[in-house]
Amino acid sequence: MTRSISTGRKVLGAALFLALGAPLPAFAHAILMASTPAVNGTAEGPDVSFDLRFNSRIDHKRSRLTLTLPDRSQQVLPIAEDGPEDQLTTKAALKPGAYTLRWQVLAIDGHITRGDVPFTVGGN
Amino acid sequence: MALLIDLFGYLSVILHGLTIVAQSMALGGILFLIFLARPFADALGTVGDDILRRTRRIAGWAAVALIVCEAATIALQGAVLIGTVDLSFADVMSADFAIAGQIKILAAALLVVLAFGFPNTPRPVLAGVVLLELAAATLTTHANARLEDRVPLLIVEGLHQLGAAIWIGGIPSFIMALGRCHDGMAWRKVGKRFSQMSTVGVACILVSGATMTYLYVGDLPGFYGTAYGVMVGAKMAMFAGLLCLGAMNYLLVERLRTNPATPITRLKRFAEVEIGIGFTLFFAAASLTSVAPAIDLSTDRVTWNEIVERNTPQMPVLTSPDHAALALPALQQKLDQEAEAQKKNPPPAFVPGSGDLPPRNLDDIRWSEYNHHWAGLFVLLMGVLALANQAKLARPVTKHWPLVLLGLAVFLFLRSDPEVWPLGEEGFWESFRDVEVVQHRMFVALTVIFGLFEWRVRVGGLAKTKAALVFPIMTALGGALLLTHQHAIANVKDQLLIELTHTPLALASVALGWSRWLEIRLDPPGNKIAGWIWPACFIFIGFLLLSYREI
Repeated sequence: MTRSISTGRKVLGAALFLALGAPLPAFAHAILMASTPAVNGTAEGPDVSFDLRFNSRIDHKRSRLTLTLPDRSQQVLPIAEDGPEDQLTTKAALKPGAYTLRWQVLAIDGHITRGDVPFTVGGN
Repeated sequence: MALLIDLFGYLSVILHGLTIVAQSMALGGILFLIFLARPFADALGTVGDDILRRTRRIAGWAAVALIVCEAATIALQGAVLIGTVDLSFADVMSADFAIAGQIKILAAALLVVLAFGFPNTPRPVLAGVVLLELAAATLTTHANARLEDRVPLLIVEGLHQLGAAIWIGGIPSFIMALGRCHDGMAWRKVGKRFSQMSTVGVACILVSGATMTYLYVGDLPGFYGTAYGVMVGAKMAMFAGLLCLGAMNYLLVERLRTNPATPITRLKRFAEVEIGIGFTLFFAAASLTSVAPAIDLSTDRVTWNEIVERNTPQMPVLTSPDHAALALPALQQKLDQEAEAQKKNPPPAFVPGSGDLPPRNLDDIRWSEYNHHWAGLFVLLMGVLALANQAKLARPVTKHWPLVLLGLAVFLFLRSDPEVWPLGEEGFWESFRDVEVVQHRMFVALTVIFGLFEWRVRVGGLAKTKAALVFPIMTALGGALLLTHQHAIANVKDQLLIELTHTPLALASVALGWSRWLEIRLDPPGNKIAGWIWPACFIFIGFLLLSYREI
C-alpha cells in the first residue's frame, strides 16, 4: 500500500530543488511474506485463525491488528505474545462477509510498517 | 495524529539521514583526533594545537547534533506508537530500538563531555566510546531484525558505519586542518595521513558493502528489479565518484612530496565535494533502511524486459486529459450526488493520513505524464540556454535562463494538485490540511525564490560572491532529498518502474550541483571543465522527464 509518487514532487526534484518523497502512512521495511487468510483469500467461519508471517523479527507487544468488519466498524484483535518472533497470530469469531485485517508492526530494529489483508469469510 | 502518521515515513528517513551525518562527523572527528591531530600535534607546532582544539570542537558539536537527532527519532517513533497502539511512554522507552537509541545518546553525551571538557582523555577511552556508539547504532539497522545471519550482518553493518565515519566523517576535520597549515611539508603530513586513514575507511566500506550486497540483494535480478537493489546501485555510483575524487587528491598529496610548493586549492575543493556527495550517500543509506531487502522479495520484482520496455523513448504527451475525468474529482462528484440524494453531508473521497490510497485511473496517469513532459521541456530549455550562455552565445538573452524556473513554478502550482484550487473543488486555504499539498506549495515557493536568486546572481553582479553558492548547494540538496522518497510497499511493480526514474534524476541533480560548485570554487582549468558539466546535466534531466512514462 503506497501512494503514487506525485508529479509535482518529482518535477520539483528534477528542477533541482528540494524534492520530497510521498508522505506515506507507512513504509516498506518489515513486509508480509505470507498470511492466513491470504490476501484476497477466503476463510471458513465462524472461528477464524489469523497467522501473519513477516521477513523480520517483530515486537509483538508493540504491534497491532485491527479488523474492519463488513459494516465498516473496527475491532482490535489481541496478539498472542508467545508466537514465533516473525509471526503475529490471533483468532476471531466472524460472520460471513468481507473483512480487512490491517496490520501495523514494529520490527525489532525500530521500523514501523502497516498493511492490509482483505479477505472474505464464507458461510458456516 | 493522522497528519503525524502521514508524514512519519518520510520524516523517519530524513531524520535517519541527519543522524548518520551527525554520527559520522562526531566519530570521524574523534578518529581524526586519535590518528592525526594528536600524533602530529608536536610536529605541526602551534598550528598543531589549533588543529587539536578545532577538531575537538567539530566532534563535540557533531555529537550534540547526534543527541538531538536521536532524541527526535525516539520521540517521533514513540509518538506514532503511543498514538496507534495505545502504549505508555514506559512501554515505548523499553522497546529494543529505544534502548539502543538511549545508549547512542549516552555515548554521544560522553563524547560531548570528553571533547569539550577533557582535552587529554586517553585515546583508548575515546576509541571505547566510539565503539559503544557504533555498537548501539548497529542495533537500529536491518541486521538486528534479521532472522538469519544476524551476527555477521551486525558486524559488517558496524564495519560499514566505521568506514563511513573514518573517511567521510573525517573530511570536515581534514579541510579544517589543511586550512590551518601554511606550508607544503605540513600539508603533505596531514594529506598523507588522511589518505592512509581514508584507505582504511574505503576498505571497511568495500568489504562490508560487498558482504551486505551479497546477503541482502542476493542476485542480479534483485539488484535491478527491486527498490533496495536500485538504491544500492545509486550508492555504488556515488561511491565510485567519491573514489575518483579521492584518487585525484591522493595523487596531489604525492606531488607535494616532490614539490612542497604544489598548490592545494584542488585538494580542498575536491574534499568539499566529497563531503557533499558523501552526505548524499548517507541520505541514500537512510532511504535504504526503510526498504525491505531485495532477497526477501520473491514476487513483484521488475524484470529486465519490463524496464527496457518502460524506458524505451516515445513521443512526449503534450495534451492533457480533462480534469473532470480524473479519479478523485469523479469519485467526489459521485459521493456528493449520493449524499445529496440521502440528504447527508458528503464524505471526502480521500482523507490524508487514513492509510488508504487515493483512487487513480488511466487519466490520472496521463495527467501525470503530461506534467512530466512539459516540465521536461522547461528543464531542457533551461539547460540549452545555460549551455549557450556558457558558450558566450547571445548572452544578453541566455544569461536570464534562471527565469525559466518561474514558468516551471507557475506550471507546477497549477498542475501538481488537480483536486485543489484553482483546478479542483478544494479551497486554497483548506488544502493546507493536506500534507502533500503543503509540500508542493512550499517547494513551488522555493522554486520561485531560488529562480529569482540565481537570476540576481547572473545579472546583478553577485557571481563572485558567496551568494552564487546558494544555487549549487540547494540543487545538490534537492538531489539528495530526491533519494529519500518513499518506496513501494510489497514492491509493487508499477510503483518501482516509476521510482526507477528517480535515481538517475537524483544522481544528475547531485552531479549538477557539485559541478557548479567546482566551477565557482576551482581555479582554471578545472573550473572551465566543470562549467560545461552542469548545463549538460540540465539537458540530461530534461530528456529524462520528457521520456517519463507510467504505463
